[in-house]
Amino acid sequence: MPQSRQPLQSSALAAASLATLRRGDQLFETERRLNAVLNNASVSIFLMDDRQHCVYMNRAAEQLTGFTLAEVLARDCPLHDIVHHTYPDGRPFPLAECAIDRAFPQNNHERGEEVFVHADGHFYPVGFTASPIRDDSANIIGTIIEVRDISEEKAAAERQRLLLNELNHRVKNTLATVQSIAAQTFRGLAEVGARTVFDARMAALSTAHNVLVADNWESASLRSVVTRALAPHLLAEVDVDRFRMDGPDARLHPKVAVTLSMALHELMTNAAKYGALSVPEGRVHVTWSLEPMADDRQRLDLLWEEQGGPEVAAPARKGFGSRLIERQLPLEFDGRAEIEYRVAGVVCRLEVPLTALGWMGQDVITGQTAP
Amino acid sequence: MTVLNGRRVLLVEDESLVAMLAEDMLMDLGCEVVLAMRLDKALALARTETFDAAVLDVNLGEARSYPIADVLFERSLPFLFATGYGTQGLERAYQGVPVLQKPYQQGPMEHLLHRLLICGELAQKGSEPCMRPGCTCQASLRSPSGKGTGFQADSPA
Repeated sequence: MPQSRQPLQSSALAAASLATLRRGDQLFETERRLNAVLNNASVSIFLMDDRQHCVYMNRAAEQLTGFTLAEVLARDCPLHDIVHHTYPDGRPFPLAECAIDRAFPQNNHERGEEVFVHADGHFYPVGFTASPIRDDSANIIGTIIEVRDISEEKAAAERQRLLLNELNHRVKNTLATVQSIAAQTFRGLAEVGARTVFDARMAALSTAHNVLVADNWESASLRSVVTRALAPHLLAEVDVDRFRMDGPDARLHPKVAVTLSMALHELMTNAAKYGALSVPEGRVHVTWSLEPMADDRQRLDLLWEEQGGPEVAAPARKGFGSRLIERQLPLEFDGRAEIEYRVAGVVCRLEVPLTALGWMGQDVITGQTAP
Repeated sequence: MTVLNGRRVLLVEDESLVAMLAEDMLMDLGCEVVLAMRLDKALALARTETFDAAVLDVNLGEARSYPIADVLFERSLPFLFATGYGTQGLERAYQGVPVLQKPYQQGPMEHLLHRLLICGELAQKGSEPCMRPGCTCQASLRSPSGKGTGFQADSPA
């Protein structure tokens, strides 16, 4: 019965439809805002359904992949087959092997790095964060994936790696060059013993730098420093019959690592020449602990004790070793050091406040603060 | 006997092994050496004790030695910087200070300290390196010209 004389709408109905209209307005407004947010975001956002098909991507995602949303929808296949189908070495990348899609993430913010394939065929590294979308009953019905192009970060990391390699190379090379210059300069002039002592000190310095290289010059492991100093040479293990080492590991500032390495080297040399290591039955105990200091820092307390060696007499003249240990080391680190020439064996006590890691300008180099 | 004999020199150098070398060189030149290896200790010494001259390593690991330089400027004590980077590695305000190139060598160290002690021309913060033709003193002219560097001295008076 068309055009009945029925009133247009009951007032209740009219009110309802007005509400619907208003809700429609609100929805439109909300969508407009969301689109503004999504399409101005610099991070790429993909909305995936439960079949791993992409049902929405923002403008940044279109620019990143080289595909438009319309093209992706038209392909009607998992997004993986469009942007992630080939490994960088050219092998096909089946969906089943894909970390992003396979995981259909149960946890929010599943993170990782992958290499995508652009519409024009080039590969680019990306960092992603994937989070599940749940329905009212908490069933997972899709995934939202944020993706960032990390080409620049990768390139910066690669540049830094190359610079570090170059630094390592140059430092080692410079040490070797100094050694060679000394050898050439003092050939026939210095006694052979002096050259041997010099070479051993250069080797100790070089070894200390090896420990630093292992951690990109940022710090060195205390245990490695001690172990490397006590080993007879680079390729050898510490002789466990002669040495007892006991103490926790810690990260040492490079300066502490180098000076401590040299100090231990001097103690080793002295022990081998005059002390416990000059006889087969001699032993050395190296024990250390980390003590809290008033200002949040820690202090390394290290004890070197020789036993079973010949009777010890205090040296008539203080040499390089005792100068380095008793004078320089405390001055350099605001610590304490003392060598006791006990009859039963040399005892050396070191107290070294551990400097906070880092160097002047490190935060700028590593990008922790804007330059 | 040289002018360096018996002079009291503050040496600020933060690397143990390098400090030993510089200290020996200064002692061989006849100087009495007071060694500081940390910024706080060096600052305390620079403020309270008297020296004829000072040798400051620029890079002290976690810090630069400029605060010590400021104290020495204030007290009109002559000093030089030791650095592997040369004058270009110094902050502009300090580029008038003579620079001893690292690694330390006795000859240049003696030469610069000698100049510092007899030349009488004290570097000032913000002054420019000596540009007198043929001059090798590397000391600074007393009055900053203000030309070229764009740097203004703190108190031109």
